[in-house]
Amino acid sequence: MTLADAKARAPHLAVAQADAEADERLMLRLAAFCEQFTPLVALDPPCGLMLDATGCAHLFGGDAALRTSVLQAMARLSFTGRAAVAGTPDAARALARFGAEGVTPPGEDEIFARPLSIAALEAPRETSVALTRAGLATLGDLADRSSAALTARFGDETMRRLTRILGREDARITPLRVLPDCMVERRFAEPFLDLSAIEHVLRPLIAEAMGLLEKRGQGGRAFEARFFRTDGAVRALCFETGAPSRNVEALLRLFRLKADSLADPLDPGYGFDVIRFGVLNAETLAQSQIGFERRDAQDGDFADLVDRLAARFGRERVLRFAARDTHDPLRAAAYVDAAASPSSPPGAWPKPEPGEPPLRPLFLFDPPQPIETMAETPDGPPMHFKWRRVRHLIARAEGPERIAPEWWRNAAGARRRTRDYYRLEDRDGRRFWVFREGLYESETAAPRWFLHGLFA
Amino acid sequence: MSPPFAELVAATNFSFLRGASHPSDMALTALLRGQNGIGIADRNSVAGVVRAYAALKDLRENLRDPPAGDHAALLAQLDAGRIESFKLIVGARLVFADETPDIVVYPQNRDGWGRLTRLLTTGNLRARKGECHLYVDDLAQAARDLLLIVMPSRHLARLPSTLARLNDLAQGDVWLGATMPRRGDDRRRLARLKDIAARTQTPLLATNDALYADSGQRDLQDVMTCIREGVTLAQAGRRLEVNAERHLKTPDEMARLFTEAPEAIEETQCFLARVDFSLDQLKYEYPDEPVPPGRNPQEWLEELTWRHAAMRYPDGVPEKVEKLLREELALIETLDYARYFLTIHDIVRIAEDKGILCQGRGSAANSAVCYVLGVTCVDPAENDLLFARFISQERKEPPDIDVDFEHERREEIIQHIYGKYGRERAGLVATVISYRPRSAIREVGKVFGLTEDVTAALAGMQWGSWGSDIPLAYVRQTGLDPENPVIRRAIHFAKRLLGFPRHLSQHVGGFVLARGRLDELTPIANAAMPERTFIEWDKDDIDALGLMKVDVLALGMLTCIRKCFDYLRAHEGKDMGLADVPADDRATYDMLCRGDSIGVFQVESRAQMNMLPRLKPREFYDLVIQVAIVRPGPIQGNMVHPYLRRRSGSEPVIYPSPAPEHGPADELRKVLEKTKGVPLFQEQAMKLAMVAAKFSDVEANRLRRAMATFRNVGTIHQFESMMVERMAARGYDRAFAQSCFEQIKGFGSYGFPESHAASFAKLVYVSSWIKCHHPAIFACALLNSQPMGFYAPAQIVRDAREHGVDVRAVDVNFSEWDNRLERADNGDLALRLGFRQADGVHENEGYRIVDARTKPYDSVEDLARRAALNGATMRALADADAFRSLQSDRRDALWAVRRLPDAKPLPLFAAADARELAREEDPLLPKMSLGEHVAADYQTLRLSLKAHPMAVLRPIFTRERIITCAEVSALTDGAFARGAGVVLVRQRPGQGNAIFVTLEDETGILNIVIWARLFERYRRETMASRLMLVEGRVQKSPENVVHLMAQRIIDRSGDLNRLSEAHRPEIVLSRADELIHPQHPRSRHPRDVRILPKSRDFH
Repeated sequence: MTLADAKARAPHLAVAQADAEADERLMLRLAAFCEQFTPLVALDPPCGLMLDATGCAHLFGGDAALRTSVLQAMARLSFTGRAAVAGTPDAARALARFGAEGVTPPGEDEIFARPLSIAALEAPRETSVALTRAGLATLGDLADRSSAALTARFGDETMRRLTRILGREDARITPLRVLPDCMVERRFAEPFLDLSAIEHVLRPLIAEAMGLLEKRGQGGRAFEARFFRTDGAVRALCFETGAPSRNVEALLRLFRLKADSLADPLDPGYGFDVIRFGVLNAETLAQSQIGFERRDAQDGDFADLVDRLAARFGRERVLRFAARDTHDPLRAAAYVDAAASPSSPPGAWPKPEPGEPPLRPLFLFDPPQPIETMAETPDGPPMHFKWRRVRHLIARAEGPERIAPEWWRNAAGARRRTRDYYRLEDRDGRRFWVFREGLYESETAAPRWFLHGLFA
Repeated sequence: MSPPFAELVAATNFSFLRGASHPSDMALTALLRGQNGIGIADRNSVAGVVRAYAALKDLRENLRDPPAGDHAALLAQLDAGRIESFKLIVGARLVFADETPDIVVYPQNRDGWGRLTRLLTTGNLRARKGECHLYVDDLAQAARDLLLIVMPSRHLARLPSTLARLNDLAQGDVWLGATMPRRGDDRRRLARLKDIAARTQTPLLATNDALYADSGQRDLQDVMTCIREGVTLAQAGRRLEVNAERHLKTPDEMARLFTEAPEAIEETQCFLARVDFSLDQLKYEYPDEPVPPGRNPQEWLEELTWRHAAMRYPDGVPEKVEKLLREELALIETLDYARYFLTIHDIVRIAEDKGILCQGRGSAANSAVCYVLGVTCVDPAENDLLFARFISQERKEPPDIDVDFEHERREEIIQHIYGKYGRERAGLVATVISYRPRSAIREVGKVFGLTEDVTAALAGMQWGSWGSDIPLAYVRQTGLDPENPVIRRAIHFAKRLLGFPRHLSQHVGGFVLARGRLDELTPIANAAMPERTFIEWDKDDIDALGLMKVDVLALGMLTCIRKCFDYLRAHEGKDMGLADVPADDRATYDMLCRGDSIGVFQVESRAQMNMLPRLKPREFYDLVIQVAIVRPGPIQGNMVHPYLRRRSGSEPVIYPSPAPEHGPADELRKVLEKTKGVPLFQEQAMKLAMVAAKFSDVEANRLRRAMATFRNVGTIHQFESMMVERMAARGYDRAFAQSCFEQIKGFGSYGFPESHAASFAKLVYVSSWIKCHHPAIFACALLNSQPMGFYAPAQIVRDAREHGVDVRAVDVNFSEWDNRLERADNGDLALRLGFRQADGVHENEGYRIVDARTKPYDSVEDLARRAALNGATMRALADADAFRSLQSDRRDALWAVRRLPDAKPLPLFAAADARELAREEDPLLPKMSLGEHVAADYQTLRLSLKAHPMAVLRPIFTRERIITCAEVSALTDGAFARGAGVVLVRQRPGQGNAIFVTLEDETGILNIVIWARLFERYRRETMASRLMLVEGRVQKSPENVVHLMAQRIIDRSGDLNRLSEAHRPEIVLSRADELIHPQHPRSRHPRDVRILPKSRDFH
């Protein structure tokens, strides 16, 4: 159905653009959340997650209990889900998406999968139409027939999928994250809230992990602490050491440094359910030390300066000018975050004409200064003007440069006026940039004058 | 008193998305601002100049003959002398593909014009449609008789050398354009230009390089710039103009700007004086190819006419016709139109030679000469023709002959014309594509940064999108807030953009032919379609200049009728042409009176079908009325019911008359007698204005023009008070006068002149006659001419079967690509469906199956091998159940076919191997039920010969006490009924107070009426149902036309799934369905309406 069709049926239909990226981000977040059940979690698009619970289920009281815990955890995050536990990933997917969900006892995948509609094969439309045309409605209908005859007609891919759903063939999932070399965790009956006591939890966890490493004659170089919040957010802190290490106190110190330097500090919210400590990279302890990486000092002095200033004063306080693409001199320059990439400025500064004097001064008053003038109507330049109680007699004038207001920016009612800019030189050789606001007669009876800038 | 000034560099909105004023506004504003001339020059185009020319011409005519309305205020401000002496010069602004600055070019004389148009033609033909690639060398080749104004770019460094080069080419004909655009450095720049001008001895010419007439149009110009650049206003920045100065200024203002170069102002006058060219000088002559050497065109035409007359009337030319022919020939001689008639005759003769059916329509059907020459089909012996409608001495307008050709073969004619006359002498007329509400709001919305959703909602807010205004009430209906400033602004600008030209496109078939070079008359450009070239002017422009055009149009029904004639010859041994169909056939009229007209030309729509039993046509003229009466004109004018009442005798035929002192009481009888006192035709409305409201010829002519062009919709209101008041003053009933005017207004949007209706009626009769006497042939031809007409193949086949035609299924051993006729055992013709009806079978494969069928195919593999078909085609054939002659039903065939390899046509050995594929055990597939077959038939063929889906579902519906369509139709007036059927068509005609839905089941058709209020409640059901259940009351007219007035609507599409668990039939809506396929009478020819969506996902 096209959107136009849908709108013809329901004219007030609210429409939101599908945002595949946001969906994927959400699924990645949920996947991270689900790592509390098993470290082997994979995305199963569209909108699905595949958990390899081999060897984990007993921790939750069996397959059925694990399935219930996952669904309950999802419900707490306000997601409704369908879940099935089965012997192979394909069987689980088919049962969750097209079947009765639930838990398949080991070895009984085929019994449970047989009643599924052939839609569960998720074959190309052409193939599924062909299957229904042949009168084959369920996976059972297929399972009973000669697989050679079926393969000849409907292709290898479809038949492989069938054997996997039926549990006759297994496939592995590719989890999102590599399994750490070594992993220990602590689950809390009551959510853990007290950040000040966090080291009391971490110290024994680290010690336990180091104990494991010691048995292997290894030390860790990259470490990760993961905090699973009750509301589904997962926070990970990673830190590295230059050399393999098993020093618990040193690692705790590194953790503390890392935690203190966070721009966005660790927040327990309603508490952590699980805290997990993993060694991402372990090496034999005897390995020789390699040099610290050093940044090239030549590179990016300016960026460093901006970083340092920003670190001290806050990013929002370090700004630079960027050109804005507009005719309006009042809006021609904009402040932008100095740290932001300069590659995409909103506009480019106008290039001066070769051999021509600059049309705009370097110094601008903001706001422009009102002045008193004497000028010829309708659009002559001032003959003299008074600014800060000093009268300037004009020797030379050029203009006008007529700049019409950006009418589309006007809020209703607040009419802005056309400005006629003149470059003036007084008898003392000083140069000014002044403008008349409002076209004589057509916009206003008595135009006002302003000094907008001074030429150097 | 300031020195005289004329703006010589004025762009119009034909500089697409740059100029922001209509050409006429530019010219008239220049006049109002006190300039004494204007030069119109658009970007590489002269498309807009005729409009400026026509506007001034109109103004001058009005000066002599003051009208009411628009220009009155303008005229009051100006003295006649100023208007008369105002000088329009026309040219183009050349924008080069190389570095050369823009050069504005005006022809000095007629030769110069030809050079300019040829120059533009060169640039056009080099580029894709809509672009023109010119280089300064092109100008160098053509620089004689042209006056050039060089418009310097921002950087002046290379200007002196450019000027020097141009001065070498055209000494004394080059000017340097100087502007004072208020950029700050104007005076310094002017000084430099003066200096360069002096050094190169080029006179300086003052101009304002105008983009619009009034400074108030700056904002619109900004919006257009954004559309052009594809940016929003917020992003546009310096791509917009800095100020509003590029408008037309008064001579005072210009003098003040150019105080330092008064000679530049004077120069505009020298320039004006140098131009000795006006569009009046475009003399145009028709080609004389068709005249044999040594003959004079008039003699030759007369000779041909009499020769053909003798052939048309073998028993001697009737006296009446002879007299008509003499009169017409005399007038043709006076106006020197003989060549035009000869050209048309020539084109018609070519069509005849190629065996292509054609028929003239429109006012040409009023000409006896056209009839005897075989251009038109309305016999002057039997009908009263109004030659004056076609050509008249008073109306100085060229004749306009429209000829319809078979839609599948029109291109042959077009290419023949190009071939015969050459591309430099023949060209299609342009159509100016203008902003309509939908396109305007879409593009303006984007400029204001509205999301696609909002603009789509705004664009979609009107049914049909055909209007010149966007009422705020509609905005509210879409759920948007009309008070929202951005939306208001977008609508405001969209309104202002309405009617602005967007681009040029080719006319559907209007040809202009010339004796000399057409490209010296107007530039020629490439069209989007390959092998087509068109000129830059549209039909109003060429009317204004007095150029003649021939419309070479396409008509699907002619294709269908020609195929009918072919089949009649092949199967029945009858050799017939359009003129040979027996007239006044009782059985044919009986059939039409029953409203039995599916597939018949013109009278097949729901509204026409309902009218047939009321009007009860018994003779040809009744068909003429039938064709003309179901039209917005007569319907809006409320003329339909009075006519029907008078026809049935329930109302006396009276002719409104003026007060006795104003004229004879029966002055209208002559005008309206044929239509029982009710004006139904365009020319009657005109006559009425002249006789009853005493419009002068000039006024009537203006009225006719206002009626003819949609663009002038605004102007028609000027005539309202004029007509009504004058009629009332002469003693007519005011209500009658008002309804006459309403009807004229209706004609403005869509009306038929009598001659046109007569031409169409002829095709109505011919197609009805074939349908009546040869239903199998008719259905076969209709199916083979698809897409055309209102109905989908399913309805055509169903109708044929109801008329006793044996329709046979697609079969690999019997079908051909096209549907074809077979002789059945009982001697009747049977219709065998062809492969073209099946999805997924390609034309050349269809032919291959037939070619390789030297003996019957005996197996699936045999077919695949001999016809070299690939797996996909084989599967498509099996899916279409086309293997029945091999004792395989759809399921068995598919099972067998899917085993074949998928690749390209099977190589010989592989195919031989395929035969050797191991024997398989019986797969024991379940039997396919009838419901499954029907559903699959609908999916692959869009129709089923096995059963109607409703027949399969009937037991379910019967249990719910839902009755068949036939049973509903048999109920008495006012009875309550529950009826259901698959939805064929949904239409919302005219004002949209009612929605008409047609349902179909196995017993017939049921017409549902849903009032707009009910529709709002049941919108979803109405829009979404493929199978609809309707509860309501039966309404039966005295003529037995039955409608079910809906009270409740239920979407039962889900029941279609019950046909089979897995297949859902694709119910295809008729091509006439307005809700999915909105048809705009003017924007799209029904022929061009896209073919139905092929399939829909129902998951």
